[in-house]
Amino acid sequence: MILKLFGGLLVVAATGGLGFLFSYRYSSRPRELRSFRRLLQMLETEIVYGATPLPHALVSIAGRLQGSYSIFLEYTSQLLSKRTYSSVREAWVNAVETILGKTALTGPDRELLKSFGNVLGCSDREDQQKHFSLLYIQLKQQEDAAEEERKRNARMCKSLGVLFGAAVFILFV
Amino acid sequence: MENTSKLSEVLPFLPQHFQSMIKKLPWEILNSMEEIRLRQGKPLMVVCSRNDYFVSGQGLPVTAPHQGYSVTEDDLRNAVQLVCNFSFYSVEEELKNGFVTISGGHRVGICGKTILENGRIKTIRDISFLNYRIARQVLGAADPVISHVIRSPGLIYNTLILSPPQCGKTTILRDLVRQLSNGIGHSFAGCKVGLVDERSEIAAASFGIPKNDVGVRTDVLDSCPKAEGIIMMIRSMSPDIIATDEIGKAEDADAVVAAVNAGVKLVTTIHGSGMEDFFRKQDLKRLHTQVFERYIILSRRQGPGTIEAVMDGDCGQVGGGNDT
Repeated sequence: MILKLFGGLLVVAATGGLGFLFSYRYSSRPRELRSFRRLLQMLETEIVYGATPLPHALVSIAGRLQGSYSIFLEYTSQLLSKRTYSSVREAWVNAVETILGKTALTGPDRELLKSFGNVLGCSDREDQQKHFSLLYIQLKQQEDAAEEERKRNARMCKSLGVLFGAAVFILFV
Repeated sequence: MENTSKLSEVLPFLPQHFQSMIKKLPWEILNSMEEIRLRQGKPLMVVCSRNDYFVSGQGLPVTAPHQGYSVTEDDLRNAVQLVCNFSFYSVEEELKNGFVTISGGHRVGICGKTILENGRIKTIRDISFLNYRIARQVLGAADPVISHVIRSPGLIYNTLILSPPQCGKTTILRDLVRQLSNGIGHSFAGCKVGLVDERSEIAAASFGIPKNDVGVRTDVLDSCPKAEGIIMMIRSMSPDIIATDEIGKAEDADAVVAAVNAGVKLVTTIHGSGMEDFFRKQDLKRLHTQVFERYIILSRRQGPGTIEAVMDGDCGQVGGGNDT
């Protein structure tokens, strides 16, 4: 009997854990989108107020961040300073695909970021500021949608996991 | 060899396929190359000291325009990004002057559609013409004129170098600065030189450190507007000589007069092909009399840096022409 109970607990824990894992995925996307927006705000400050050349600006922000975004900025800056590509767009798109592919950002999120490579660094400060503002609005929409999705799905995943475990337990005992 | 190493400083600022085309050109062309010109829809062109050539897609010098590689809109857009280090916004101020100085002191001239704001140039858009000018330091370029500039072993004449673009004005000024700063054997003891390098062309300073040899007694005020820079130099660095490039505005003239009145000697340059051009510039009225004691007039009749004449303060010829 004790053995059965123990086994059952194990099943519930496992499926519950799986549920939590899925829900974690849903909650990371809005968080990551939010921190990307913060990264962009730092970049905007460097560009609009500091007029710092892009490769320097990217490195200096990378130093203030951690994780994949820091690597992303570092990598982009390297592509630019080594002049691997002739345009910001190519370097930026390459970096988004290579580094941000492993994050919780979805395909449409990455497409949005990639399109920003067309304008980044290519115009005067006033114009750059406008492009940044536009991107904030678009990112905010993605973020809201991601938040909505998280609310809907995260709790469902968690409870589904536990309930499924319980169902298995009841069925087999 | 000297010039090809200068060329290799410029190449990274060109799109990659341009680099490989230019690298394939014959050695004589690479060695005498002065400009690389990009015009949208027109063939890629290189200008050497005597001739200009179009460059074909295979990297061959050709003379028929239609055989040259036709520069596309994308090429120009990429070239601009490379020139401004992927940061158009960081060169806004420089664009108002129509050029960007890249590392190594080379200048890239830019043309396109200018955008005005309150009657002044705000920026340049739709850039469709680029001119990469390869700046070179020619040690000894000032040798033919240096004896006319020196008055006594510790003193020089206030000197104005007049020349049309591309005749070696900056090259001669740079070498004059170097020689006056280092000193020349027994004929001239080195002097403290204050160099106001508004366009970073003379010293080619990067992060404040001159990349060209401008002498051991030279202080460089990099990217500083000339008029303010001259006054700053007098106050802060106690120079014997102030050197600066391309004066032209009325406030430049005021600063020059202030320097001369402060007992500082001056070496500077101006665009023009002869004395008449200088006297026609109304903004420089204050400089027309009793400021300069030597005028050096350049042309490219026998290649860049041909000395047409050296004149004293009263426009009497003291050297140059055929006798140098």
